[in-house]
Amino acid sequence: MTTVSAPAAPARRDRKHPRLHRFLHQGGLELACVLLGGLALWSFLSHVVIPRPDRYLPSPGSVVFSSADMLWKGLLPDFVTNTVWRLLIGSGLGLGVGIPFGILLGLNRTVSDMFYPILNFFQSISGIALLPIVMIWWGTSEQTVIFVILYTVLFPISFNVLVGVRSIPRIYINALRTLGASRLQIARDVILPGALPSIATGARLGIGFGWRAVIAGEMLAGQRGLGWMIFTAQQVDLTAQVILGMTLIGIMWIVLDRYLLRPLEADTIQRWGLVQR
Amino acid sequence: MSAAATTFMAGRMGLDRKRMRGIGLGAIPFLVLLGAWELNTFMGWLKPVYIPPLRAVVDAVFTLQEGCSALGILGMHESCLFTNHILSSLGRVGLGLVVGVPLGIGLGVLAGMSRRLSNAMEPVGVFANAISGIAWVPLAIVWFGVGWFTTLFILLNTVFWLVFFNTLLGVRSVPRTYEHSVLTLGGNRWHIISQVYIPGALPSIVTGVRMGIGFGWRALIAAEMIGGNTGLGFMIFVSANEYKVEEVFLGVLLIGIIWMVTDRIILVPLEKWTIERWGLVWRPS
Repeated sequence: MTTVSAPAAPARRDRKHPRLHRFLHQGGLELACVLLGGLALWSFLSHVVIPRPDRYLPSPGSVVFSSADMLWKGLLPDFVTNTVWRLLIGSGLGLGVGIPFGILLGLNRTVSDMFYPILNFFQSISGIALLPIVMIWWGTSEQTVIFVILYTVLFPISFNVLVGVRSIPRIYINALRTLGASRLQIARDVILPGALPSIATGARLGIGFGWRAVIAGEMLAGQRGLGWMIFTAQQVDLTAQVILGMTLIGIMWIVLDRYLLRPLEADTIQRWGLVQR
Repeated sequence: MSAAATTFMAGRMGLDRKRMRGIGLGAIPFLVLLGAWELNTFMGWLKPVYIPPLRAVVDAVFTLQEGCSALGILGMHESCLFTNHILSSLGRVGLGLVVGVPLGIGLGVLAGMSRRLSNAMEPVGVFANAISGIAWVPLAIVWFGVGWFTTLFILLNTVFWLVFFNTLLGVRSVPRTYEHSVLTLGGNRWHIISQVYIPGALPSIVTGVRMGIGFGWRALIAAEMIGGNTGLGFMIFVSANEYKVEEVFLGVLLIGIIWMVTDRIILVPLEKWTIERWGLVWRPS
């Protein structure tokens, strides 16, 4: 009996803290070492090696302190919400226009052959490159930034949706038609579900490009937000704020990507992906 | 005879009927767009400061290249403004790839060899990729000043992390059985790297390179606008400040064309070759 309980003990401990156990056994310790080592190296460089740390490499402590300062003044929440709002509006408009557009173009083989190259062309002109033109049109306004995000999201999504709709086997559409379905029914029951995986993939790609466009747009068009924050902080030598902004940009993208877009994409592909084959 | 030769050539270049039809159909929207553009100039709907005439865009090439000889283009003579900007952008891309890709592959393989280390480096790579690109520009300006190195740094940073991250994931996904069988057959560590890890990770590496060039090119243009003093991004930004819209349009069109050509000539064949040669379609985990 005792021989049975002995090996069972660690298993019970695993069940008690399964997440911690998994974390430690999948390189959590090494990750902690890498992070601590990185922070130690950073502090060492900043305190000992670099001549003017305030300007060139502020210590981790001063970066954290600059966040406290900005939180207390209420600037940081403002910048974060501004940036997120811009991304939401821009990519919402982009998806709202791009998905129906891609579906419509994908419905007909000839039409989709016709529009494939031009969509590819506009997809390859990044929204950031378009920014100077838009700035001539509308100046450094909110509209400029939103338009650039919209543009950046629109083409990857419509391109992907077009490709997705094209890849739906004709046999499904023909089957429904034989059974007497109307055009609307075919669109609702075959084309939309069939295109969903590529809609999800395109959305993730588009929003990824859009996120970079928000940052660049805020820098160049001077609209308040995280991109603007790191750009202006650099101009007045507040390097701690620059690093804080960069870190926030990274963290926010990871949160958005890992906890919202990727799960959505994976779930969509899992649920609807079979329709394609 | 010559007709047969032409058909043969066309067949070899893949220019069969189906392809010709695709090209012809694909040209229609471009022609319509160009027609609308010309019509706009002709009718005067939108002022030239918003949409410059097509002619002015073409003329901008000659204005920018005034007093430039063929030899001057190669020598990057200062009168060849237009080609200088193109060459400096492309030169940075070339340098960024030559340095960033081998570095990313090398360190990625090293990190991927140990499962624990690769697990630890994965979140680091995710984080670095999340910041990479445009967000580094202000810090790069502080470190290196406005200029050549800042833009190169942004590109390198983007390319390196994407290649590193994808190589790491690729190496990790190679089944351990292959490694063990090479070891059983008397292979050493180098054999494992060259015969197991790199071929096994190749599809993933190619994906990384492709993404690296794609994101890197976009980041480079943005970096040239904010922190550069040469390159196509710099050109369109400065021209926009001076309201030289035709130069901006020229630059933007060229940025799109360069990317499409790179994608078509290098990246798509590279990916096709990898999948055909190594047979594995890499599935992201």
